[in-house]
Amino acid sequence: MTQPKRLSQEVEQSLVRRLKAADERALAELYDLLAPWVLGLAFRILQDEAEAEEVVGDVFVRVWRRVHQHDAQRGPLVPWILSIARNRALDALRRRRRWWRKAERWQQARVTDMDAGSEPASHEASVPGWPVHREVHAALAALPEEQRRVVVLAYFDGLSHSEIARRLDQPLGTVKTRLRIAQQKLTAALHHIKDWMA
Amino acid sequence: MTDWLGMAPPPRSPHPDLKARVLGRALRPRLRVWPLAAAALVLLVGGSGGYWAARTIRALGAERDTLATHLAALQDTVNSFIHGTATRLVQVSVSTGGRLGAVTIFADSAHHRWLVRCDGLAPNEPDQAYQLWFITDKGMKTAAVMPMDQDRPMVMALNMPAGDARVMGAAMSIEPRAGSAEPRGPMVFHLLL
Repeated sequence: MTQPKRLSQEVEQSLVRRLKAADERALAELYDLLAPWVLGLAFRILQDEAEAEEVVGDVFVRVWRRVHQHDAQRGPLVPWILSIARNRALDALRRRRRWWRKAERWQQARVTDMDAGSEPASHEASVPGWPVHREVHAALAALPEEQRRVVVLAYFDGLSHSEIARRLDQPLGTVKTRLRIAQQKLTAALHHIKDWMA
Repeated sequence: MTDWLGMAPPPRSPHPDLKARVLGRALRPRLRVWPLAAAALVLLVGGSGGYWAARTIRALGAERDTLATHLAALQDTVNSFIHGTATRLVQVSVSTGGRLGAVTIFADSAHHRWLVRCDGLAPNEPDQAYQLWFITDKGMKTAAVMPMDQDRPMVMALNMPAGDARVMGAAMSIEPRAGSAEPRGPMVFHLLL
């Protein structure tokens, strides 16, 4: 098993500098570091390998062309890229939802995925960033079921507060409260993540 | 810290070909849509303008050719009147509306045609016209009705009366707008050749 790579602040800053200087090798390195996570996130949202790969392409093209828009003062590179991936995947999901027959299959796959608990095969532990994943996954899993559900529906399904309330047949205020408490818990649990450390 | 939630799902190993596809797509030179659209617009406008200009030039050229042919025919006619050996030139001074003018007649007896040029005739009243007459041994025969609304010279070619009537002279009178069968109005001139 290969040792996980590190993505420290220094490495990230160097990567950003090289990307802004249009260094093609920096893009390849970034892909090696982040593609599995971008693909994992896109697949988690879309449940379709081909569409998830399309999102991966979109994300790295966008990062390559718009890396100048990344503001280091507002946050690290990785969350910025993950937010691009999430938005792209949710856009694709919304387009797909218009096609109800396909959406029905997606719902079935989602139920299967929720039941499976999403733990990956052991060989994936060699992927860079694995410790962060474990911590985030654990923090999410540690949430009470009702809070975890609203977080999942908001983040991975892209639903608004009102839509979540309708989906769960809960008052809107309850949904907002659960989301706020969940966010506080996640922030506390993941507060120590400053770098993406191996 | 929800920014990191994107790392909650497990990673997935990308297809081995995906990296090459993604990098190839990212590093491919961007297709600049706006310059292409602008160039297409320029081409379209230029092409349309060129087509319009070419069509206009063609139409004007055809009109010029038609006019040139017409002018050449007129010149030929005028030349035959002026230089024909059987042409007789008569000039009559006339006074209309208190102004002095002239009527010039090129009488071509060989081709039985007259070329008449009127200069300095006063414009007609709206319900009147000048009428030119052939004076023949059979009586007055109308040659032309000439409504003159503008103050400018008038030129016309006339065929002499057919049949056995012999033309002995010409006359001009002021008649109703549609002309008369025989002269009834004020006489402008009366001339025996």
